[in-house]
Amino acid sequence: MSNVLRPYLGAVRSTLTAALTLENFSSQVVERHNKPEVEAAGSKEVLLNPLIISRNENERVLIEPSINSIRLSIKIKQADEIERILCHKFTRFMMQRAESFIVLRRKPVPGYDISFLITNTHSETMLKHKIVDFIIQFMEEVDREISEMKLSLNARARIVAESYLLAV
Amino acid sequence: MDGAFRKIDIDAFDEDIIQESELYEADPRDPAQVLEEARARQSSVRGFLSKNDVVGALTTVLENAPYGPNVEDAKTISLQTLLSILNNTKSTEISNVVKSLSMDCQDTLMKYLYKGMAMSAWADSNASVLLSWHEKLTEIAGTGCIVRTMTDRRTV
Repeated sequence: MSNVLRPYLGAVRSTLTAALTLENFSSQVVERHNKPEVEAAGSKEVLLNPLIISRNENERVLIEPSINSIRLSIKIKQADEIERILCHKFTRFMMQRAESFIVLRRKPVPGYDISFLITNTHSETMLKHKIVDFIIQFMEEVDREISEMKLSLNARARIVAESYLLAV
Repeated sequence: MDGAFRKIDIDAFDEDIIQESELYEADPRDPAQVLEEARARQSSVRGFLSKNDVVGALTTVLENAPYGPNVEDAKTISLQTLLSILNNTKSTEISNVVKSLSMDCQDTLMKYLYKGMAMSAWADSNASVLLSWHEKLTEIAGTGCIVRTMTDRRTV
């Protein structure tokens, strides 16, 4: 892990660990329903204060805890137009396959690029520290993935341009 | 027929619905008085900082911090005062400073750190400072401190 990223990911890790104290909680509004309170937002007392961890203006994480679910949204670094397109394609690809990632949300929260929704079922069936590790690893790799894609895209464009402009 | 009535949130008219004001004890102080106090603290913090007394400065800001609605100006002043302290502290001193704070002050400091990071417009210059304070504070006060920040409705 690079040295500049470490305090940021450390802060996300400790906040997420603190937020992942979930319990089963049925809806107070509809009988025999059990829904993630952070999504339903039906009553104020089960929603906790949302926390934002930011590294700079373009990179931040929003953690919205509630009694039985937490929503974690990531804003990924996008320096230029190409990175914006790549990031959009990449997150779209993942979110279309959201059920294979289990904790992934199908749509990001407005203002963010990708969101995760962790419910009490997830924290009961999976190991809590592994969920945290997964999110942190995702955050580590997504930047690297996008910059790698950008490099290979540029290399490919260069080859295409060279062969196109080659004098026969 | 007009279907707009279907959009009315009827749960909001339930008689035992919880109100925002029932979630925490309201600040007994008057908003104008709170603003006055925040200004007074800002100048006394400058005095502490000129004497290099970071702990004294932090305690001044963190005790009786403004919270609740209607005191936005006082909150902004307190946050600015706190950020000026944090920016003026050497990174090697942070651990000792945090250790000598009381538990309530540590919790309030955590609230301000998150608030500072949420203000992305200002955070640009000092996000790394806030992150390093956050790291040290979590090391000393533990994740319980973060949980208290999430659950305490008296947002700063």
